[in-house]
Amino acid sequence: MEKMGVPAIPMCTIAYKELADLTAARDGMPHLREIFTPHPVGGKTSAELAAYLVDPDPVSGIQIMKEIVEDLTRPLSADEMKSGTQSIQAGPAIYGPATPDNLQELFMTNGMTDYLPIVIPTEEKVEAMLKGTSHNPDEVLRTPLQGVGYTSARWGYTVRQVAVNAVMAGCRPEYFPVVLAMASVGSLGLFGSTTSSGSAIVINGPIRDKLDMNYGLGALSPFAHSNATIGRSWTLMGKNLTNAGILGDTYQGSQGNQLDYNNCVIAEDEKNSPWAPLHVQFGYKAKENMLSLFGGPDIRQGAGARGAGAEPAMFDQQISYMCESMVGGSGALAILDPLVAKRLVEQGYDSKEKLAEFVYKNTTRTVKDFKESFLAPFHLYPLALQAREPYASWYKLPDDTVIPFFPSAKQINFVVCGGQANAFFQIANMNHVRSESIDKWM
Amino acid sequence: MNRRALLSLFGIGSGLLLETRVTEAKNKNSVNRVAASEPKVTAVSPKGTRPPIRLYAMAPRVNSLDGKTVYLVDATHFDGSETLLMQMQAWFQQNMPSVKTVFRKKAGAYAADDPTLWAEIKTNAYATVMAIGH
Repeated sequence: MEKMGVPAIPMCTIAYKELADLTAARDGMPHLREIFTPHPVGGKTSAELAAYLVDPDPVSGIQIMKEIVEDLTRPLSADEMKSGTQSIQAGPAIYGPATPDNLQELFMTNGMTDYLPIVIPTEEKVEAMLKGTSHNPDEVLRTPLQGVGYTSARWGYTVRQVAVNAVMAGCRPEYFPVVLAMASVGSLGLFGSTTSSGSAIVINGPIRDKLDMNYGLGALSPFAHSNATIGRSWTLMGKNLTNAGILGDTYQGSQGNQLDYNNCVIAEDEKNSPWAPLHVQFGYKAKENMLSLFGGPDIRQGAGARGAGAEPAMFDQQISYMCESMVGGSGALAILDPLVAKRLVEQGYDSKEKLAEFVYKNTTRTVKDFKESFLAPFHLYPLALQAREPYASWYKLPDDTVIPFFPSAKQINFVVCGGQANAFFQIANMNHVRSESIDKWM
Repeated sequence: MNRRALLSLFGIGSGLLLETRVTEAKNKNSVNRVAASEPKVTAVSPKGTRPPIRLYAMAPRVNSLDGKTVYLVDATHFDGSETLLMQMQAWFQQNMPSVKTVFRKKAGAYAADDPTLWAEIKTNAYATVMAIGH
């Protein structure tokens, strides 16, 4: 609004002062006249919030309403009228020479690791990693842009910069096309909202076997070098390439998310799945190597089938039951052992689409429950204001109307992996973000 | 702005300035680890490229709000935002009745622009207060 010539006062609680200052500076107005209230605002009564307004701003000490009037009428200072380009020195291009131990300490102390030992990214190792792709090391995957993104500063990166992080994660050069496909998604690891979301990465195509990815026993646990290091690189790329993960600044996750350590890499067991692989469902050819990114709050155990001892076991109903406790607005990714997939086919689900349709129709709640659910007031209601469906229609319905839990069956996805030791599944409360070609980065 | 925040703006952790101290501490306390013959290596920075910062002048102010229109915008829809702004509207009505206040909720997710609302504010208002979150 200030850029449009309209004096504007941004208000936030004192808990976010540092983030507010940094965002204003990155947006090009370091002297923006911010006003802060005590924290929190949520959960306070009308009387308490009225009192906030006549109490002092915890930063300036000036009564808040008086400060608002002053900030909207006080003439601009010389600093506030400045325009032009601000030059800030870039950080070092290299570190050292130093011993490997000292470099480990340096990288960790400077927030460039996940606090596990890294592979030191020497020039030699980076050059070796770059041989894993035919792309030019100086090719730009993302252009740095001011005023874009979660904290108003979209960092950019090249193929070479991605290679450095891939080395640090312990990736081998043959994994590099997968890492580049991940980097080409744009938004990388360590999503910074207070909700502490995590990521899952599904890999499809022949590359799974080429890289010895594990999609059998212990598929989601640390039993394959490729699964482990590819997942780790997502977090390191987030920290280093996009400046994510700076506590109190680009990372506000109140509790964090354990998925951030390795980001749940899932190679689909295409051979033992009775259905089409995930990437084929998304419209790609079976022989294409694809990566699909999912993001959302968590992954949880599916806890078997509904109706213990029932014949046939009601896995469809159990999946629907597990979805009822999810965060609405995020989708579902069910990760099924091949035994569960086979049982579902016995139940009549000869395609993932049929199963998704069942879960969509049978997972429901009232409009009242929807309105009162987490995310609805501040994420889904604003979408309704933009006339986005189905939210716009749902908000017009009576409170006791029963509506689907998910806005669409397309938000419900399935992937098959596991060692067939038992008929178990896990389910991620996650949306499909994007799919990217790995072949493009060979 | 404190030093940690300033370094964060550059994409540099405050620990960078500890490098010399870390090296000295290791030399003092861990002679066995840092042997004279241990090879030294150079590491490539893993950092991406930060965007350039262009500075923008703020909007000029008038010397009084009397007779002006101020939009009060719930920009986040978080719990308490609307209530706080309703109280703000009540304060203006009681204390500065010549100021006209208009309450609006921004459409779209909290980081998204609302071009329709921005255009309305630019046409109808002198100023805006946007709040608040959490």
